[in-house]
Order: sequence, then structure tokens, then C-alpha cells
Amino acid sequence: MTTKFALSLVNRRDFLLTTAAATVMAGVSMPKITFAADKVVKIGFLAPLTGEVAAWGKPGLDGCSIWADWVNADGGIKIGDDAYKVEFVAYDDEYDPGKARTGAVKLIKEDGVKFVMMLGGDPWPGVSPVSDKEKMLFSTLLPSDLTPETKLLVAPCEVHPIYNVTGVEWLAENKPDLKTAVIVAQDDSLGKPSVATYLAAFEAAGIKVLGDPIFFDPATTDFAPIMSKMLALKPDIICLDTCYADYVHPLTEQAFQQGFKGQMISCTADFYPKMVEKTSKEFMEGFIFQFPDFDDPALNAEHVNFRKPNDFFQEYVKRFGEGEWSAVSWEYASIMDLWSDAAGRAGTTDPEKVLEAMQVGGTGKQAFGEAKWWGKELFGIDNALVGLWPVVVIEDGKARIKEFKSIPAWWDKHKALMIKHMEALNQMYYQRS
Amino acid sequence: MPERAASPKLYWAIGAVPLAAGLIVLPHLLSFSQQEILVLLTINVLLVCSYRLLTLTGEWSLAHAVIMGIGAYSSALAAKQLGLPVPLSMLVGAGAAGFIAFLLSFPLLRMKGFYFLIGSFAAGEIIRLIWKWSELTWLFGGPKGIKLIPPFPDIEVFSIDFYDPANYYYLCLIVVTISLVILYRIEHSRIGLTFHAIHWQDKLAQSVGVNTFRYRMLAFVVSAFFAGLAGALYAHYVGTVNPNRFGVEEMVYILIWAIVGGTATFYGPILGVVVLTVLNEVVLRALNIDQMRPMLYGAILIVSILFLPQGLESVVPKIKGWLAQRRQKRAIAKPPSEAEQPAK
Repeated sequence: MTTKFALSLVNRRDFLLTTAAATVMAGVSMPKITFAADKVVKIGFLAPLTGEVAAWGKPGLDGCSIWADWVNADGGIKIGDDAYKVEFVAYDDEYDPGKARTGAVKLIKEDGVKFVMMLGGDPWPGVSPVSDKEKMLFSTLLPSDLTPETKLLVAPCEVHPIYNVTGVEWLAENKPDLKTAVIVAQDDSLGKPSVATYLAAFEAAGIKVLGDPIFFDPATTDFAPIMSKMLALKPDIICLDTCYADYVHPLTEQAFQQGFKGQMISCTADFYPKMVEKTSKEFMEGFIFQFPDFDDPALNAEHVNFRKPNDFFQEYVKRFGEGEWSAVSWEYASIMDLWSDAAGRAGTTDPEKVLEAMQVGGTGKQAFGEAKWWGKELFGIDNALVGLWPVVVIEDGKARIKEFKSIPAWWDKHKALMIKHMEALNQMYYQRS
Repeated sequence: MPERAASPKLYWAIGAVPLAAGLIVLPHLLSFSQQEILVLLTINVLLVCSYRLLTLTGEWSLAHAVIMGIGAYSSALAAKQLGLPVPLSMLVGAGAAGFIAFLLSFPLLRMKGFYFLIGSFAAGEIIRLIWKWSELTWLFGGPKGIKLIPPFPDIEVFSIDFYDPANYYYLCLIVVTISLVILYRIEHSRIGLTFHAIHWQDKLAQSVGVNTFRYRMLAFVVSAFFAGLAGALYAHYVGTVNPNRFGVEEMVYILIWAIVGGTATFYGPILGVVVLTVLNEVVLRALNIDQMRPMLYGAILIVSILFLPQGLESVVPKIKGWLAQRRQKRAIAKPPSEAEQPAK
């Protein structure tokens, strides 16, 4: 009745026109939310937000939104005489170098960002000329992007895949009866250097790797034959290398379904509660990986530089759900800690001056402790920040930090092994074409 | 004396002038990032048009993205390892793609239809595996591919820097225009008519002495040459190539552009790639719905295939028909002027 009455007064076209006009007017006339201090520094976030690698992009952006809210609520960051609010501008590079180049140009020339955070990997070479021409500072989570030419690229948080040595070292110290391992990885730019690292780490720990590492095509969807091939070698340890979440989950499920009873180790175990659901608490007990949940009490240790990690985790879970926490949820935020500290000390957002301030003294405050700028021997440039890294073990369905171990200490003892395996897989910076 | 109807060529010439003017002015109307998208779009126009040439013979390949990659890899290697000038390297890249297609045509063109489709996919995957093969990392760079590919050299006399997307767009525009003219001429030549004949009546064509294998091979090689050229243009702009860039996902995009645009006309695939790229890279990105973008894109594809099963190209004759109908109606409704009225 009401509808009929309304329609008799207003025809459909008038109704649509009025609604559209009202919407536009509302958009135009509503005051934009502004902060007390109107100075804003924009930071670029150039990472995959869709596609198979999105698990290492989107959760990081979510973490950054918490970081920005906290920093802005505290009055912003002080650079020179002014306080700046921080605003993140994101661009989905879809893990494609061409799209990453477009994104970098947009962020720098249109959005006016002062620093760009990337996941790195395949997209970086597309962005590299933009970084050089525009003199923009970039960060990567994958230091295998570093070469002597990448002067404005830093890896200030995650030194993938070198930290994987800490997991193997801890495993050898705590479960000395495990003597054999098999390694599986996707055949791509993340998988190969990680395999070289695990090979070096296992050799250093006196663990024998059975057969050649198994490389599978990234387009693989059926993991049953791969797991069967691995189990046929009867290993004590299955190493999932740096497989993406889309591979770690089915491989773990296959190991469970095919009756594997041994030890599993992996670089990441993103969204591990889902793996526990699909297998069992008993099966996942003792699963070793490298990325903690930030509600871990061990992160309240004095040497940890990440601000309020437990609160950060609670806020993340509140906003996005516990199952959404991943390896990168905190990493981009921790890079922002480093950048804002350096920009504050430099008194400017000028990329080259911020980099200089960041690297002054050759050390920096990495998320898990004091670290040094390092990498000359492995990457040809000291642009990776390396220090302590946590070893994480799943206990009763929950990830817990067992120990923080020193990457430089391992490197000092075993660097020859690492270089040997990196060279064998053509992963040294002078071998990458 | 009856009024002489204007020839279609004249219409084309009249239409080409504003089109050319529009394409020349276009980058200056766009933002920096849109100029970047424009460069990649122009390259993709060549890619999808080269694909259409192959479809004229009735064959749909799943190796076209990999063949583009052969052009990209070969051109990159020629410039980086052999030190050839980039323009020459691009031709080497295109030639290499054509040559590999020539070799592949011997096993592949013994198959037809679905079998050719699957065979081409397998051949493409083998090539991608060769690029990734650890023994050949020194050459192809393994999964990380080739980086620091020399860019197109600047023309210092005129201060033209090809890092600037507008300048590279003009270079691509020239190369792609010449390529499209060649492809168009091939299609409308006797060779092109033979391609059509092979598509629709291959047995009949054979019975009148047409060597269908040779013509299908010709279509495969020519389409590969231009796909390789598109790959070379891409490699020297982005500065890197890797095996994943030319994988199944890229191939699916080529198929989508061709299917949504339509392959019955020369402009069909161009419409497909232009409309879908603008939609995906400009419109949907502007909505800031990153995670929803693939879903919306998929929904649009489904809707377009449901309502435009003949492709976007089928809209053009519909619009033409509608305009003609309107003109006709207006002519009937219009009362004759005094001069036109018969004398009483």
C-alpha cells in the first residue's frame, strides 16, 4: 500500500535521480575526517593483495592499519619540528613486475609517498628502474632481491631465507635422534634460495638429506604423489621449505592422511589453526616454523623492539579474526617502526637521508632485538638487518616461541656451507642474471 | 544524376584521422600510472591480434603466452648477452618466436581442434620448464628469470627518454600500428581467405589443391612472430622476464580478451582487450575494492558472455543498425519541403 502510494507520487526515474543527487550531495557536503595536525606523510604499500601470494601481502596491510591508528592516536610521528599523521596508500601488484612498476609510479608520482614497502620477489626487478630514477627508498621482505646495484632497497625485517637455519639448529639441539630429512619446495624464486639454506642448515646440524630436494611446479594442485614420493624415502623429518600457504596446507594434510609420524619443519605455517582442524592436535604437535603469534609471552622480553606485541595481536584478532594472522601480519608494521625512527632522527622524509639515518653505526633495532646491517658476502651489499630470530613450535594446537637464536652466530660458523649450497643452486647474487 | 555513394575506403580514411589524433593526444590526457597501463595495453593489443590470426584457421592455441615469452627472453638475451642494439634484439626476439613456432608446428599441426589445444599447452609447459631448469640458470636465470634487461636506447638528439611511458607508448604505437596493418593485409589477401577456407571447409580446400598443413603453419609462424615482438616490447620496457609471467594465467587472459571481444572481426579482440583492461586496471582499481576485484571482474565476464555471446564486436553492427533505423524513421516522419512537393 505504502509502495503504491509512493510510486503514484514519484516515478522511477525521478526516484533514481533524487537518490543519486542526494548521494552526491552527501559525499560533497560531509566534512572529511581530519586530524588535529593536518600534516600527513604517505607510505606506499606495494604487494600482492589478490592471487596466490596475497597471503603475504594483505595481512601485512591489515597490520599496518593498526600501526597507523596507534601512531596517529599518539599524535603521529615527529619529523623535524612537525608531527605527521601516517597514511598508507596500497596498490595490488598481483605479484607481477609490470603491474608493480605501474603501482610504483602511481604511489611515487601521483600519491606522493615517501617510502614504499614491498613483499619483493618477482615484482622487484620491474620496480628497480623506478627506484633508481625517482630516488625512492623501498623495502623488501625477500633479501634475495638485494644486489650491489640496489642501493635504495633494504631488507630491514625479514632476512629470508637465512633465518631458517635457526629452526634446524634448534631441532638438532633438542631432538638429536632425528637424522634424516627430505625437502620439498615450489620451483620458483622463493623456493630455491630457501632450499639452499635448508641444505646448508641440515648439513651443519649433521642431518642427512635423502635424495635430491623435490621441486614442484607452482601450478600443482595434487600433492598426494609428491608426499608419497617423499614418504617412500622414510625420512625422520619432512621439510616444507618456504612453500606458500596454499602448498603448506595440502602437503601437511597429505602427510597426515598418508600416515607420517615424524617431525615436520617449515619456514611458515600461516593460518595454522586451520591445519590443526584439518589434521589433529596430536599430528601437529612439535611442528617447527619461524613466525610467532604475537600473543606469545616470550615477545615481552627486553630485547624485543616491536611495540606492545601482545596488544597488537589482540587488536589484530579483534579486527580481522584469529585465523587471519599470518607470517607478515606484523612485519610491515615493524619496518614502519624502523622507518619512522630513522625519519625522526634524520629530521626529513627524504629517502636517501632516511636510509643514511637508518644505517648509521651499522646497527639497527630489528623487531626481535638489536641487529647489524649485513649481507655483503651473500647479497653483495650490507642492506639486510640481521640479528635474533625466533624458533616457533606448535604445542597443544598453539604456536609458541621456544628460543631466540642468532643468525650472525650461525653464519660465522657455517658461512662456507651456505655459500656452497647457494652456488650449487645458482642463487648467489653474482649468479643471478 | 544519381548521387554517388561514398566508398568504404573513404569512410575508413575519414574515421582514421580522428582515431590517429586521439591516439596521439591520449597519453597527455592520462595520469602517470594510466600512461603505464596504456603502454602495457598497447603491447597486449598486438598480442591478442596476433592470436586472432591463428584462430582464423580454426585452431586455438594454449602456447601463445609462452611464445610471447620466447620473444621476450630471446630479445633480452640478444641485448644483454650478445650486446646487440635493442631495436635489432627485438627483431631477433620476434624471429626466434617465429622460428620456434615453425619447429613446433611439425608435431603440433598434425593434431586438430581439442588435441591441438592440449598439445600446444604441453609444448608451452615444456618451454617454461626449460626456462626454469637449474642446468640452464646461467642462461635463462631459472625461476627468477632475467633482470636488468637493457632498455630501449634514448634518442639524445631529441631528448627522448624511453623510461617515460608516454615516449615508450609512441614507440609501441608505431610498432603495433605497422604490425596491425600487416596482419590486416594478410587477412584480406588470398592467404587470409585460404585461412578462412581451412577453418570452415578444410577437406574441400584440400580437394582443390590447398596444402592445409603449410597454410596452418604459416598462420602459426606469423602469429608467433608478432606475439614475440609483443614480448620483446614488454621485456625492454619492464626490464625483467620470468617463467611465471608467461604462464597459464597470462594465457587465460589472452583467451578472455579474444572471447569477450569476439574473433569474427579484426577489431573484436582489440575491443576485448581495451574494454577489459580499462575495466580491470582503471575502473575496478579506482573503486578501492582490491580483494573483491577478481570476483567483480569474473562476474562482468559471465554477464558479458551471457548477454553478448558473439562478443563485444556484435555491439557495433547493432549500434549501426539502430542508427540506420533512427535515420530511416526520421526521414519518414519529416514532411517533404515545398521544393520537393509535386507541382499542383
